[in-house]
Amino acid sequence: MASNSGRKRIGSSNDSSNAGVLARVTSTVSESSVYRKGKQTANDASFVTKKLLKSTGKAAWIVGTTFLVLALPLIIELERDGQLDALELQQASLLGTPPTTASSKSY
Amino acid sequence: MAATPFTAPPMDAKATELPKVDEVVDYNNLPCPLPYEEIHRESLMSLKPEVFEGMRFDFNKALGPKFFLSHSVTMGPTEVPSQSPEPIKIPTANYEFGANYIDPKLMLIGRVSHDGRLNARLKADLTDNLIVKGNASLTSEPHMSHAMGTFDYKGTDYRAQLQVGSGTLLGANYIQSVTPHISLGGEIFWAGQHRKSGVGYAARYSNDKTVATGQVASTGMVALSYVQKVSEKLSFATEFSYNHMSKDVTATVGYDAVLRQARVRGKIDSNGCVTGFLEERLNVGLTFILSAELDHKKKDYKFGFGFTAGE
Repeated sequence: MASNSGRKRIGSSNDSSNAGVLARVTSTVSESSVYRKGKQTANDASFVTKKLLKSTGKAAWIVGTTFLVLALPLIIELERDGQLDALELQQASLLGTPPTTASSKSY
Repeated sequence: MAATPFTAPPMDAKATELPKVDEVVDYNNLPCPLPYEEIHRESLMSLKPEVFEGMRFDFNKALGPKFFLSHSVTMGPTEVPSQSPEPIKIPTANYEFGANYIDPKLMLIGRVSHDGRLNARLKADLTDNLIVKGNASLTSEPHMSHAMGTFDYKGTDYRAQLQVGSGTLLGANYIQSVTPHISLGGEIFWAGQHRKSGVGYAARYSNDKTVATGQVASTGMVALSYVQKVSEKLSFATEFSYNHMSKDVTATVGYDAVLRQARVRGKIDSNGCVTGFLEERLNVGLTFILSAELDHKKKDYKFGFGFTAGE
C-alpha cells in the first residue's frame, strides 16, 4: 500500500506527501514529459553528430589521400615545367633573342 | 573541288596549322588503320601504366648501334591469390637479364630471369606488307610454357592478321578504314584447350584531338573508350568495360600529362581504386619512376619507386 511503503522509503519520489520541497521540485522536473523528450532529443542529436563526424572524417581521409596521389605530382611537375619555361625565357632575353611566346601558353 | 577555304579559328591557332579546307573525301586513298589489337592504344597508354610495388631498377647497356643488353632488378611483395578476402603478399626479389637486337626490319628480344623463366619475342618484316611476329614463354614448370605466332598482312587501307598459338589457339582478325577517321574491324578466335570460340567487332573513330573506340565480343565483353587531347601536353581518357558473364562493370577516368622532363598519369576507378604514376627524367639517360595505387574499397595500398638507367 502507498502509506506502508511511504514509511519505509522516506526519500522516495513516489511518495510526495512525505518528501521535502527540493525533492518534490526535482521530481516534478525529472518526470515531466518535456524533460524526457529533451533528453531523448539530446541523445539522438549526439548520436547523429557522432555518425556525421565519423563519415565526414572518412570522406575527408579518402578525398585527401586521393588528392595526394592524383593531383600533387601533377601540380609539382607543372610547377617545374613552368620554372623551366621561365629559365628559358630569361636566358633568351639575356642572349638578346626575342623569346617565343607560343610555348609558354600551352595549357 | 575545294570550296572557299576558311581560316582556322583564332582561339588556339598554332603557327604550323594549315587552314582547313572543305574536301571531298577520296575513298580510294584512305589511310591504313592501326592494327586490331592496338585499337585501344591511346586509352591503354593513358589509363594502364605499369604500376608496381616495391623497388625496380632497369639498366640498359648498348653494345652496338642495334644491340643492347638489359639488366632488371625488382624487389617487393607479390600477391598470391588466396581464398580469404585479405590478399597475401610474399616478398620476392627477381633479376632478369635480357638481350635485344633492334633493326627496322628485324627485332629480337630475349629475357631470362634467375628462376629459369625465358621470354622471347620476334618481329620480322618479310616484305613491305607482311610481318611475322612470334612470342614464346618457357618455364621449368610443366604445362606453363606457351608460344604464339602471328602473321600480319598490311594492305592499302586494311590489315589482316592470323594468329596461331600453343594449346591450339587460332585467331584471325581484319580491320578496314571506311572513312579517313573511322575504321571498323572484326575478329574470330578458337581456343582448343577450353573448347571456346568467339567473334568480336571493333570500331574506332580518330581525329586530331579525340579518339573514340568500342569493342564487343561474344564472350560477353563490351569495352568503350574515349580519349580527348585538351592541350599538347595534357589529355584525358575514360574507359567503360562491362562483362556480361561475370556482371562486372568498371568505369575509369584518367589523365596523361606529357611534359618536357616528366610524364604524369593518374586515374580513378569505379571500384574505388586510385592510381598515380610519375616518370621523371633526372638527367640524360636516368629516369626516376614513382608509382602509387590506393584501393579504398579493399584498403590495399601499393607504392613503388624505381630507376631506369641507360641510353
